[in-house]
Amino acid sequence: MKAFHEPNLRFLLPSVVFVVVFSLYPIIESFRLSFYRLILTLPWLGQKFIGWDNYYDLATDPVAHQSLLTSMTFVAVTTPVEVLLGLGMALVLNESFRGRGWLRAVVLVPWAIPTVVSSQMWRFLFNDRYGLFNFVLFGDATDRYWAPLAEPGLALMSIMVADIWKTSSFAALIILAGLQVIPRELYEAASIDGASPWQKFRHITLPLVKPALLLALLFRTIDALKVFDLVFVMTQGGPADTTNVLQFYGYKKSFAEGMIGYGSTIAVAVFLVSLLMSIVYIRLLGTRLLGKEEGA
Amino acid sequence: MKTIFFLVFVFFIASMADAQTQLRFVTWKSENDAVWAQIIADFEAVHPGVKVVREVGPHSSTEFHDLVTQKLRNRDPEMDVFFMDVIWPGEFAAAGWASPLDEFFSAAQQKKFLSAPIEANRYRGRIYGVPLFVDAGMLYFRKDLLAKYHVAPPRTWPELVDQAKLILAQERDPYLTGYSAQFKQYEGLICNMMEFIMSNGASLWDEQNLKSTLDGGQAKRAVRFVRDQIVRTISHRGVLAYQEPESLALFTQGKAVFHRNWPYAWEVANDPQRSKIAGHVGMMPLPSFPGHKSVATLGGWQLGISRFSRNPRLAWQFVEYMTTREAQKQIALATGRGPARTALYRDVEILTKHPHFSARYDTFTLAAPRPRTPVYLSLSNIMQRYFSSAIAIPDSKIDQLAALASRDMDRVLDLLRGRGAP
Repeated sequence: MKAFHEPNLRFLLPSVVFVVVFSLYPIIESFRLSFYRLILTLPWLGQKFIGWDNYYDLATDPVAHQSLLTSMTFVAVTTPVEVLLGLGMALVLNESFRGRGWLRAVVLVPWAIPTVVSSQMWRFLFNDRYGLFNFVLFGDATDRYWAPLAEPGLALMSIMVADIWKTSSFAALIILAGLQVIPRELYEAASIDGASPWQKFRHITLPLVKPALLLALLFRTIDALKVFDLVFVMTQGGPADTTNVLQFYGYKKSFAEGMIGYGSTIAVAVFLVSLLMSIVYIRLLGTRLLGKEEGA
Repeated sequence: MKTIFFLVFVFFIASMADAQTQLRFVTWKSENDAVWAQIIADFEAVHPGVKVVREVGPHSSTEFHDLVTQKLRNRDPEMDVFFMDVIWPGEFAAAGWASPLDEFFSAAQQKKFLSAPIEANRYRGRIYGVPLFVDAGMLYFRKDLLAKYHVAPPRTWPELVDQAKLILAQERDPYLTGYSAQFKQYEGLICNMMEFIMSNGASLWDEQNLKSTLDGGQAKRAVRFVRDQIVRTISHRGVLAYQEPESLALFTQGKAVFHRNWPYAWEVANDPQRSKIAGHVGMMPLPSFPGHKSVATLGGWQLGISRFSRNPRLAWQFVEYMTTREAQKQIALATGRGPARTALYRDVEILTKHPHFSARYDTFTLAAPRPRTPVYLSLSNIMQRYFSSAIAIPDSKIDQLAALASRDMDRVLDLLRGRGAP
C-alpha cells in the first residue's frame, strides 16, 4: 500500500508549493504587518512593532464601522437575490427546448465581461442626464430625472443592481450543474404517482439541489464581501462615503495613503469575517458540501 | 550544428539591438498625442542610441498614482522618468522615491519657471521635479446668456448664485443648470472646495502648527454656502457625481450657465466640433466671497526621475529636453495647457493662437497650491469624506462633521511632529 501512495504525494507537491507561495505566504505576511506601524511616505518612522494598536484603532474607527456595515448590507442584499435569480435561470436552462445551448452561452455573457468594463457601462447607464436608466423610467420628463450615483441613499443600491446583473449567471452556472445530476427516474416515478409540477419541485428538485444552492451562496457571500472593482469604477466610495465598502477602505489605506500596517489590519479583518462566514456555512451544510452522502 | 550557429548569430544580432539604451517614460495619454511623439522623436534624434519607451497609464490622478507608486515601492529599475501630479512631490521626496534634482536643476534655471509650481516641487529645501505645465481653476460662463439678461460676469459667489437663479427662472429649460463643477467624492472635490473656503479667507490646515482649520467659522460658512446655495439651489443633484469630463460635457452641450474647470476646457468649449457653444464662452478668475480675494487651486503635472533609475543622468537630459522653452511652446500651442515657463506668457506666437494666455498669467502666478506634505493623500481622504457628506446630505450636521474631520486630520498631522517645517 505504501509504495502505491508515496508517488501520489509527490504529485501533490506543485499545488502545495503554489498554495504556500501565493496564498499562505501573503496571508501570514498580512497578519505580521498588521502588528506594525509602517507608513511608506514617512520612512523615518521606521517599521515599529506596536502590538494590538492597529486592531484597537480599527475597533474604534467610525469609518471602518461604517464600511463594515456597508459591506454587510451589500452581502445581505445581493447574495440572496443572486442565488434566487440564479435558481430561476438554472431551472429554465435545465429544460430542453430549441436554442438551449445558445441561451446557456448568452446567460453567461454578463459574467464573462470584465468587471471594470461592465462597471463603466453601468456608470453610463446611471448617468443623470444621458443615462438609459432615466430615459426608460421617465422618457422626456427630464425634470424628474434621478442621479442614482449622486444620491447618498441610492448609490449603494445602484452598485448592488450592477452586481446582481453581473453575477446572477455565475450562481445559475453552479446551480445548473447541481440540477443536472438529479436522476430523471425520480421525476418519472413522481409523474406516475401523479405528483404536480410544484410537488416535484418542492420534494425532488429543491432537496437535491440544496448542496449546489448552498455552494453558490457560499461563493457569492465571500465574493460580495470582497467587492471592490464596482466601487472603484462607479463611485470611488462616495457620495458621503455611502459606498465605501471595507475592501475599498483597506485599498485606500494601503495603496493610496501608504499606511501598510493599518491597511493590512483591515485586510485581516476582511479575511477573518469571510473565514467566519465560511465556517458558519460549512457547519450549516454539514458534510454535504464535501461531497459525502447525507446520513453516510 | 548549423542550427546552433544560426541561433548564436540570432542572439548576437539581438544583443546588438539591445546595446541601445532604453529610457522608460511613464505617462498618461495626452489629448494631443502627436506633439508628444514629435518631441520624443526629436530627443531620440539628438541622442543616437537612446530609445524612449512610453508606458501609458490611466488619466485619472488617483489611478495613475497607484501605477507609479507600485513601481516605486518595488524599486523598479525599469522606470526612469514619470509624470507627477502637483500634490505628490512631498510624498515622493519623503518616501525616497523621487531623485533630488538640485545638481542638475540650478536655482537660476528654476527662476525661469512660475514660482508656485516650483514651490510645489520643493521639499525640505531640495527640488524633486520640473514643472511641465500648470493648471488653475477658472470660471467659465455663457457670454450670450449673461448678455441676454444684462448681467456682468459675477465677482462674488452670492452674485453668481443670484444671476444663475435669474437666468434659470427666465429660461425655463429643465435641462439647464446654474453651476456645473466637480463635486464627486475624489481629489477634484478638494480642489473645488478649497477654492470656496480660501476665497472666504479660511484655509484647509495650518502648515506651521500642523492643525486642521476646517473647524473654523469662515471655512464652515463656505461649506454651508456650497450645500445650500450651490448644490441645493442652482445646480442639479447630478453634480455630486461629476468629475471634469461630465461637468464639461454639460457645459459644452449648452446646459450650464456657469462652469468651473481647468484651462484645457477653453479649447474644448470653443471647438465647434466638440461644443455647441463655441464662441459664446467667457472665462475669468473664480468669484470670491465679499471682502475676500479670489483663489484658484493650483494643478498641473511635473516630470520626476526615479531614485531607482539606472540612467539618472540620461533621464535628466530627457527631462531637460521635455521642458525647454521650445518643447513647452510646442505643447502649449498644440494642447492649450498653460506652460510652466514665465517667458512663454509673452511669446507672440502663443499669444496669437491663445490670446487669453496673457489674462491667465495672473491666475497662474496667484494660484494656491494644496498644502505640501508627505501625508497629503491621508488628509485628502479625510477631507473628501467630510466635504462629500457635508454637501450631498441636504440637512448634514456641518458643525459635527467638521469637528470630526478636524480631529482625524490632526491625528494624521501629529505623525509629522518633530520634523520641523516641510
